[in-house]
Amino acid sequence: MKNLVLFVFAFFLFAAISHGQKFYTKNGKIEFDATSGSSPEKIEGINRNAICVIDTKSGAIQFSVLMKGFAFERSLMEEHFNENYVESNKFPKAEFKGTITNNTTVNYLTNGTYKVNVIGKLTIHGETKDVAADGTMITQEGKINASADFKILLSDFNISIPGLVADKVSKTARISISCQLEPLKN
Amino acid sequence: MKKKKIILYILFSFLIIIGAATIYIYKEYNRSHKDTANLNADYSITATGLIKEFEIDEKSSNTKYWDKVLLVDGIVKEIVRDDKGFYTVALGDTSSLSAVRCNIDSIHSKEAASVKKGNSIAVKGICTGFNTDELLGSDVILVRSVINKK
Repeated sequence: MKNLVLFVFAFFLFAAISHGQKFYTKNGKIEFDATSGSSPEKIEGINRNAICVIDTKSGAIQFSVLMKGFAFERSLMEEHFNENYVESNKFPKAEFKGTITNNTTVNYLTNGTYKVNVIGKLTIHGETKDVAADGTMITQEGKINASADFKILLSDFNISIPGLVADKVSKTARISISCQLEPLKN
Repeated sequence: MKKKKIILYILFSFLIIIGAATIYIYKEYNRSHKDTANLNADYSITATGLIKEFEIDEKSSNTKYWDKVLLVDGIVKEIVRDDKGFYTVALGDTSSLSAVRCNIDSIHSKEAASVKKGNSIAVKGICTGFNTDELLGSDVILVRSVINKK
């Protein structure tokens, strides 16, 4: 009886995954840290409402996030981020469209941990640049836990750091992504 | 003698100005976010009405609602608690993919914990815009939200 239940559960899980092929979240976490080495305070923001979709068949992966949704500890930092750096009224969204280059090595149907390589185009502040990142995917009970870490050069995205805060704000920003994706039911 | 007095007077004034400026800069620099619970709503609207406004004209809705305090009424479609204990409440019509997604301020997590799917509630939060997605439906996002007590 136990086996039968397990079998039925596994069958439905398999059916859902193989049919769905797409995984998604609307609560993806994106953190960025532009604290320079000499800064006494952290320059970091977090956004908990990133949309992420992964197509397990093609390995296509995309993100979309509202710039105004980055939360900073200090109000002033948040205002400067939006008004002076990323100009979020002019460029409200950041996007990433890419592919998992080693998608065939990931078995989405069984539990496991996989190292993945992602390449694609990142758009921030109206500028689009090619980026590459290493990430980890943990597939568990029909869900995916995806995380990645990479660095971007702020000048690549036409974001300039005024001289006055150059000792606090780093020229590069570390971006960390963490998402729990669920199968998309069509 | 008179000259000395004037100089002293000027120096003293300068000190006061510098002192005041320092206090102002220090306060401004360390200014933290206001608790949304204590803010008055700029707009009071239903979740479906808000989504519709953004769907019709995202640009003018952005200008109207960005950074404003919204009080949104709606049915809870989904409530998610992440691994760090942060709550997100999605309000809207269950037959539609779109929603008003409200990030609950961590200092108000407690009130969110008792919210159930299907509840009719009002959430007060700060609007950060409209995240569109053809496949998943489009969402109006509110941050630093609180469950409004009726």
